[in-house]
Amino acid sequence: MAIIAIAYLIFLVAPMLLLGLGSFGGSWSNTLLPTGFTWRWYQELAADPSFRRAFVTSLQIVTTTCVLNLLIGLPLAYAIQAGARGGVRVAARIVTLLPVAAPELVLAFGFILVFSSDALPWLGSFWLLAAGHLVLTLPYTVTALVADMEQLGLDQYEHAAATLGASFAARLRDVTLPLLRPSLLSAMLTVAALSIGEFQLSNLISGFLSRTYPVVLLQAFYGATGFACAATVVLLLLATLASLTSGLTAQFAGSLRSRRAA
Amino acid sequence: MTLQFDNVSFTYPGGTAGVFDISLGIGRGELLAIIGASGSGKSTLLKLLAGFVKPDSGRILIDGNDVGHLAPEARRLGVVFQNYALFPHMRLWENVAYPLKVRGVARDERRSRAVDMLGRVGMNLRADDFPAELSGGQQQRVALARALVFEPQGLLLDEPLSALDAGLRMEMRDEILRVQRQSGIATLLVTHDQEEALSIADKVVMMRDGRLVQIGTPRELYETPADASVAAFVGQSNLWPGDVTGEGAVSTPIGTLACDTVGRTLGDKVTVLARPERIEPVTDAINSAMPGRFAGTMVADRYLGPLRRIDVAVAGGVIRLETHLREPVIGVVIPPGAIRLLPPA
Repeated sequence: MAIIAIAYLIFLVAPMLLLGLGSFGGSWSNTLLPTGFTWRWYQELAADPSFRRAFVTSLQIVTTTCVLNLLIGLPLAYAIQAGARGGVRVAARIVTLLPVAAPELVLAFGFILVFSSDALPWLGSFWLLAAGHLVLTLPYTVTALVADMEQLGLDQYEHAAATLGASFAARLRDVTLPLLRPSLLSAMLTVAALSIGEFQLSNLISGFLSRTYPVVLLQAFYGATGFACAATVVLLLLATLASLTSGLTAQFAGSLRSRRAA
Repeated sequence: MTLQFDNVSFTYPGGTAGVFDISLGIGRGELLAIIGASGSGKSTLLKLLAGFVKPDSGRILIDGNDVGHLAPEARRLGVVFQNYALFPHMRLWENVAYPLKVRGVARDERRSRAVDMLGRVGMNLRADDFPAELSGGQQQRVALARALVFEPQGLLLDEPLSALDAGLRMEMRDEILRVQRQSGIATLLVTHDQEEALSIADKVVMMRDGRLVQIGTPRELYETPADASVAAFVGQSNLWPGDVTGEGAVSTPIGTLACDTVGRTLGDKVTVLARPERIEPVTDAINSAMPGRFAGTMVADRYLGPLRRIDVAVAGGVIRLETHLREPVIGVVIPPGAIRLLPPA
């Protein structure tokens, strides 16, 4: 077992190690490993305005997507769990999963068709891009939350809290959110990971000034290998950063009650 | 009456299940148990009283006020749930203090009141533990404390003992009764366990298909059941269809039985009830030509410790009896006094 685990880890980590090596390598062509050491690629990357802008845009998009997921996904999941019964429930769950089944390319062209019209000329805007990311990630949030609510037996705790005199707001603050905290956390991590790496939809619907990092990254591979490696390493850092931020967002949502219950 | 149903009907949306035309009341300090098979509507009555569902018609009264359309949080009723529903992220004292918290009691006071209340169920030393660290019986005690700490107008117990094992169930039965008596609170107990209901309730209600079949003291339900379904549900019973064939005589598939037929006329259809503990075992030869005397063979012999529950096959059927005798049983006597005539099934 240990050998398999180690082999798997090497398989996972090796490309990242090579990327790291490459990003500091002076030159890397026709050799197994790069030669020479340089900071140059990172300096070039930092100096490149399109990469800097994309870096910031990606962070903004991830944050916005996470917040929108919380604001829309949590009430939606709650409504499905608490209100929907029988056929309505099944239908609601299928509808929330549909965006996952539709190819991103199809979604993107749908966006282009609808939002390049005169009536809705929003193609290329930041908020449309955020909306696109929301559509792609919401199914994961809702599915995970509904499943966890059922598994927790949330309605039972809410019934109990109600009989003890807690209003809806008090139940939400003292019972629902604290119990859902781990679920919110893992849902936000998934959302952040999906959003940060999303390429297809972003590539097609982002405007020139609102391109996300993965979209810009593509261009790096037309240039020097070292530059491409450095740019990819930054994406990995960005992903880590996004996971941390989204994790904190969920923590915050869950700890609205905190400062010690009772 | 503190808690009262007044001609209450309720049907679940999209179905025919529900409760129909229910009227009953629970006085201060009284413990009323509702028994019945699954689907009989007993849990629905609890949900109606707690406010989880709203009646289609009729009134639900608490201390004389119609609360039928109030939300659960506005009703001031303590509920103990089947799985206790203690909040897993709160310490025991925080769980018990929660109803005080939502009523705006200051932190120090609610802690001391919660710990006092935990003391009444013997759990004060565990006040800072989390529910996951407790056994089922301990969680039950805490749930009881939480349901009573805010001095509710009524206590509702939903199958409170069904998740416990047999030994603990007896102990918690006494504990619930003790705490209930101490607080003198009107209590509704919903249970499928008729023994539990008989042993602690002041009054027992039997439900079937959403309707009240009988309401009475535990003794009334056991000794004078309204019909065969009550007799079959409450305790062990022998039930046979019968015809009144003469004064003091009823014919049944197992033969003619002698019993009191006052109030019945010749040819009346009846159901004959004989409780197993009232039937006398016979260990030597018996003259089965006389009414109520049967020779037979044991087909089941269940050893229950203090007594045996025996099925004796006789011509035309099986007679169940309970005895403390240890010898083989080869016949039975059904004394006239052991027989009760019920309406035909």
